[in-house]
Amino acid sequence: MASLWHASLRQNTVVTLVLATCLASAASAETKKEYRFTVGPNASVSVDTQYGAISVKPGSRNQVVVTATLKSDKVEVDKLQNGNRIEIASHLLQGADQQSGQIDYEVLIPPDATLNLRSSTGPLSAEHLQGDLSLEGTDAVVNIRNVDNGHVNVRTMGGPITLSDVRNGHVDIASISGDVHLKSVTGPLVQAKSGSGKIFYDGDFGSGGDYKFTTHTGDIEALAPGNVSADFSAHSVLGQVQNDFPLQPKHSRFSVEAGRSFFGTVGKAASEVVLRTFSGKIRLKQR
Amino acid sequence: MTCSDVERVLPEFLDRAPDGAFPTDFETHVKTCPACSNLVSELKLIASEARQLAATEEPAPRVWVRIAAELRAEGLIREPQSTPARPILIPTSSGRRWSAWWLAPVAAALLAAGAYMVGHERAPQVAKQQAPTTPVTSPAVDTLGATSHSEDIQSPLQQAKKSGKPGASAVGTTVATAVEPGPSAEDQQFLSAVSTLAPSMRVSYENELQAVNADIRETQAYVNRNPGDEDARQHLMDAYQQKALLYQIALDRIQ
Repeated sequence: MASLWHASLRQNTVVTLVLATCLASAASAETKKEYRFTVGPNASVSVDTQYGAISVKPGSRNQVVVTATLKSDKVEVDKLQNGNRIEIASHLLQGADQQSGQIDYEVLIPPDATLNLRSSTGPLSAEHLQGDLSLEGTDAVVNIRNVDNGHVNVRTMGGPITLSDVRNGHVDIASISGDVHLKSVTGPLVQAKSGSGKIFYDGDFGSGGDYKFTTHTGDIEALAPGNVSADFSAHSVLGQVQNDFPLQPKHSRFSVEAGRSFFGTVGKAASEVVLRTFSGKIRLKQR
Repeated sequence: MTCSDVERVLPEFLDRAPDGAFPTDFETHVKTCPACSNLVSELKLIASEARQLAATEEPAPRVWVRIAAELRAEGLIREPQSTPARPILIPTSSGRRWSAWWLAPVAAALLAAGAYMVGHERAPQVAKQQAPTTPVTSPAVDTLGATSHSEDIQSPLQQAKKSGKPGASAVGTTVATAVEPGPSAEDQQFLSAVSTLAPSMRVSYENELQAVNADIRETQAYVNRNPGDEDARQHLMDAYQQKALLYQIALDRIQ
């Protein structure tokens, strides 16, 4: 009985040691590096990684701080400063794959800096910024929050895109199959295109902006308060449309097809809203 | 014939007679006008190179040299620095370094092809055509260097014209009834580049490419049945833009 107990104890000890060794080697392979750059006004920051997350938040007005977590020694960080322009890029070495080639970046930038982010896998996130933002991801999830005055440009192949509380800038979003979620997004020009992805808008369409949402097969759903002031045009070539608002009639270049299009104004028609899809459904809902 | 006349009719002439048998008044003007002569020469070169894109894995070195010189002159590219501003994300052999650069002109050509088809295929009466069952594989230059190499970016009407099979039956009412063409030369080259340089991404790109091509076919079939539908034409253009975006994202990632 005692020998059996000892054998079991030995077995558990070996398993524990093996696990601990694996964890220790994994932890030792992961390294964290920090880079600091001093910049002046109107800085430009680019971060480009094949695999890994990039998260950007506002920091001090004259410094860019990049914290990179490298998952293995098969990937390096290339960095370049040229005046106010900072370029950070992951550099895959021979044999790197999606796991070993991953670097996660956490970046602090001056709030008004121009930002360019690229990652195939993502996720990509940026928040509380005021400069122009350009984000590109293949399958990356993109999340942008609390951006004022800057232009926002996002492109993905399949990754979903979420923007919330983005104001006063041009917003241009294009995705091939990713869903697009826009919550409280207003500005002089807001346009989103997705092929098979859906587009959701929840907001009041501001005052005096052009909003244009287009899909091929994806549905478009817009949710607005009853006191919205906008001129609406919606048309689905092959799909159905649905509208909760009492629209005042207006002239449109599209011939009205029952169930496939609606046009009209609500309030003073401060903003123009165009919703177009080839075969998706369009719903304009009142909050 | 004036310079503006030449600019107006040149794409059509190149399309009809890519090797250069132009009408007499056209030839007379071009011979006496250096600007138009240069324009014709350049477009012929572009058309000629575009036709060879599908047939060669690598473009002729002179094409790259010429494009690189133009881009340098315009300050759009710089000479390599000791610390690369844009790293080579996937180390490759020197022979492969530029193997994906052709995606850029292909993406541009897709857009141009889309714009051309949307803008120029406004036949007042589109005869009902039978979708050809024989794949059309030879590339064709539409205009201004825009290429329509693949049948998936050619309308069934164009395909019928090229295959010489004007049919009488209607194009299928949905994409499900349309003939499913194989991938075009560009698409195969595109997928080949993706699988070489970013193998883990191949399935994603392949699926997206199939979806975008299906959208283009579906919209093209609808436009053929409803040539006066401006909104559908715009959706067709959007579908081409989606394909160009796909190529562009791939180009950004794998180069």
